[in-house]
Amino acid sequence: MTLPSSIASQTNEEPTASTTGIAAGQTEMEQELARLIVTTLQLEITPEQIVPTEPMFREGLGLDSIDALELSLAVSTEYGVELKADDERNGEIFASLRSLARHVTERRTR
Amino acid sequence: MSWTTERERGSAHLLRLTCWLTLTCGWRIGRLLLYPITLYYYVTASGPRAASRDYLRRVLGRPARASDVLRHIFTFASVTLDRAFLLSGRTERFAISVEGLDALTALLSRGKGCILLGSHLGSFDVLRDFGRTSPVRVSAVMYRRPGSPMSRLMETLDPDLWRDVITIGSPDAMLRVQENLARGEIVSFLADRDPDARPDRIATVDFLGGRADFPTGPFILAAVLGAPVVLFYGIRLGPRRYVVRFEHFAATITLGRATRRDDLAALVSRYSASLAAQCRAAPFNWFNFFPFWKDPSA
Repeated sequence: MTLPSSIASQTNEEPTASTTGIAAGQTEMEQELARLIVTTLQLEITPEQIVPTEPMFREGLGLDSIDALELSLAVSTEYGVELKADDERNGEIFASLRSLARHVTERRTR
Repeated sequence: MSWTTERERGSAHLLRLTCWLTLTCGWRIGRLLLYPITLYYYVTASGPRAASRDYLRRVLGRPARASDVLRHIFTFASVTLDRAFLLSGRTERFAISVEGLDALTALLSRGKGCILLGSHLGSFDVLRDFGRTSPVRVSAVMYRRPGSPMSRLMETLDPDLWRDVITIGSPDAMLRVQENLARGEIVSFLADRDPDARPDRIATVDFLGGRADFPTGPFILAAVLGAPVVLFYGIRLGPRRYVVRFEHFAATITLGRATRRDDLAALVSRYSASLAAQCRAAPFNWFNFFPFWKDPSA
């Protein structure tokens, strides 16, 4: 898949990130999830390139609902967190790497 | 404006008009009015007319005559008229036969649900009629524009419709597909086009002597969820006569990590070959009135 130019050119909200070497200001959980996303979906980017606050679906990373399914299966295997279709907060959960990480941190069983 | 909105607008007007006429004057009067409607379409819709001619030339293997194009539009208008009856469940005067049901029931018995691939060949709505009598729920994955004339009309005809529709667009749409399949249910897709698919979810394959784009999404889903795949065609045979055909496609679909692209292209090719055979058997049932091929003038 092609990487939208917005990711590469995105300036970071947290000024320390670019100097400390920590990828795009990702927290530890976000780094873990970013790696899971890149390997599961076979994206042609590095996990560090995923900006935590950028949208993941359609815009930003450009994921679609099939990616969301594959991602939810991986998250379920890895962390024991089941994402359900009738969850009203799905829009929120899938909004960005940060929001997904927050959800997984709250619910993880493994 | 894209062809989807253009087409939806056109068919919504046609559907509304024919619905109103049919519901007030009866099916026979509605059917009589299809002749002037067909002629009006033929004269005014130059894009669909050219698309029809291109398709008919390929499927008939000879240049299309005006009478062929008129018959093509008339079949489309007839199926559109019948939608009003199929959606509202008033099918007592319809003869709908079913072929190949064994292929579907055999795979359903495995308990993994079933992905049903339909198309814009014939009527997708006969599946709705089939779903009413089916022992398991049949839901349809489709686009829905809330508040659009077409959506409103479909809602009026079939108030329960949206209960069995999975709307494309939200990130959790395929989670719903997964849950329905896990309950052993049937989930249907329109597999011959997806105007919204990401470029890497498209395979370009041979179809009726040209190259055409088909979505790969349904096959990826089948692979990811371990669901069997059955093809479905709702063909109009004549006035109020339809046949619902089920065709075995695959008990399981496996995609190699390294060969994924080629595997998908092979699956889509096999699908397009089946679709082409059905097109040849019922040429006037094809309702993609837009440039379908990459090389329309070839």
